[in-house]
Amino acid sequence: MAAVHGDAHSHGHDDHHPSGIMRWVTTTNHKDIGTMYLWFSFTMFLVGGFLAMGIRAELYQPGIQILEPELFNQFTTLHGLIMVFGAIMPAFVGFANWQVPMMIGAPDMAFARMNNWSFWLLPVAATLLVSSFFVPGGAAAGGWTFYPPLSVQGGLGVDLMIFSVHILGASSIMGSINIITTILNMRAPGMTLMKMPMFVWTWLITAYLLVLVMPVLAGTVTMLLTDRHFGTSFFNAAGGGDPVLFQHVFWFFGHPEVYIMILPAFGIVSEIIPTFSRKPLFGYSSMVYATASIAILSCVVWAHHMFTAGMPTVGQLFFMYATMLIAVPTGVKVFNWTATMWQGSMTFETPMLFSIGFIFLFVLGGFSGVICAIVPIDIQVQDTYYVIAHFHYVLVSGALFALFAGAYYWIPKWSGRMYNETLGKWHFWLSMFFFNLTFFVQHFLGLAGMPRRIPDYNLQFADFNMISSIGAFGFGLTQLLFLYIMISCIRSGEKAPQKPWDGATTLEWTHLPSPAPYHSFEKPPVVN
Amino acid sequence: MTNNNIEQKKKKIDIWKIAKAVMFAFMGIRKKSDLESDAESLTPVQVIIGGIIGAILFVLCVMLVVRLVVS
Repeated sequence: MAAVHGDAHSHGHDDHHPSGIMRWVTTTNHKDIGTMYLWFSFTMFLVGGFLAMGIRAELYQPGIQILEPELFNQFTTLHGLIMVFGAIMPAFVGFANWQVPMMIGAPDMAFARMNNWSFWLLPVAATLLVSSFFVPGGAAAGGWTFYPPLSVQGGLGVDLMIFSVHILGASSIMGSINIITTILNMRAPGMTLMKMPMFVWTWLITAYLLVLVMPVLAGTVTMLLTDRHFGTSFFNAAGGGDPVLFQHVFWFFGHPEVYIMILPAFGIVSEIIPTFSRKPLFGYSSMVYATASIAILSCVVWAHHMFTAGMPTVGQLFFMYATMLIAVPTGVKVFNWTATMWQGSMTFETPMLFSIGFIFLFVLGGFSGVICAIVPIDIQVQDTYYVIAHFHYVLVSGALFALFAGAYYWIPKWSGRMYNETLGKWHFWLSMFFFNLTFFVQHFLGLAGMPRRIPDYNLQFADFNMISSIGAFGFGLTQLLFLYIMISCIRSGEKAPQKPWDGATTLEWTHLPSPAPYHSFEKPPVVN
Repeated sequence: MTNNNIEQKKKKIDIWKIAKAVMFAFMGIRKKSDLESDAESLTPVQVIIGGIIGAILFVLCVMLVVRLVVS
């Protein structure tokens, strides 16, 4: 171990890389690429957040004040697309780039040049998406699920969105192949599959899911493209096609996509909770098994998104039962995290606060998901704000809170500096307060019948919408605090020791100094 | 003949072990001692094939329940 340590320190002399902008353009280093992924995703998070602020500003009171309905629809569509494909997914890939090699004792990712390409496709795709606001007809406006016939009828913005999704998909597939190959082939001697950290396990399974479903999305948008420009009628009933076919193929991608966005979050939380409980993860093998189980089940529940689209009762019942059963392995995970904390020597640093916040609010989002899985209820609440509330509890307080937790947890290793703990806690509590202020009331709005994707609404929805908008502005501003905390940490935070968290046990804490050297493990560590 | 019997028995036990591992995986629980014995006796390919068969069986079971409910 000492030898490895010594090596790690001496790597500084071998950091031959170009300086300035060319370092970032040409880099094949997993840490550089991870950093770029994270900054890219945060930038897109701010862009998507700006769109969210626009939506909430318009909905602050009834009537049309700020955004014309056409532009409002473009805002909701691009908000969803940018947050899913531009913010959450690349952020997790950024974490994988930084952490997977360090956690398995590898020197880098398996396909370093492909890694560079995977990243640099993203700004191209993002440019296409964002620039679509400025083309004739504006951006795509048929919702982030781009259902036909709206997406067949839309203008140039829809084409830009289709190409953008193609490129993002290619990037994701390459990233996944890289992650799978790295994990299966480059683990340190002694690190068997069942000794891998949970974050690595969740990413391995997520990568397989991505390879499985991303080509389906690519096929779907290609069919949309040929319907638009080459006279096919895949989704056009007048030509013998079926718009419901689109919904099936889209959601065959779309539901596993939900798990693609949440499984790595499970992985991050499964690293943090044992560290700050100072206990090993309760039921490690159960966690691995539950993750695999969730991944498999996620592929057979897609049509619960389309109970009202026209489906025989047998189909509705099948997808209802399968969806409700997926709560079993998810429940196992929640019980395991709780059991990990049970009688642990817990401390509540910011990563732990965000992880506990994650568990608490993700469970709420999960429960409202089970409620939506029940066909008669779903028929009532579909396309209402109840669904908006449900998936924001899963994706914001689920995926995003886990990303914040992970960022606070690993920033000392990435930058070699500690963040400001007091400000971190402020960030957590403000996020927690404003998040619930924004989204909890949306359950009530949905139950009262307020439809989603509308710029104007009846007077009876006014109070809760105002509360929700105030919460959204607060939540948005709070995220600028996160940006400040991270920048001040990187620039002038206190020097971090090798292992600032005394309960941490994974290789990046036990074998590598802070900041982690440019090349982590040229000689692999031996795992006992 | 006796050797063949023993081999056949071993094969049967393996299939049962795979089925058990996959069933527990679907629920998301596994005892540590069972996991360790799985890791010794099962290969990843066996588990993946078992998982795919398990998924098909799971779908068929849910369909059967649905048929019973609507019949």
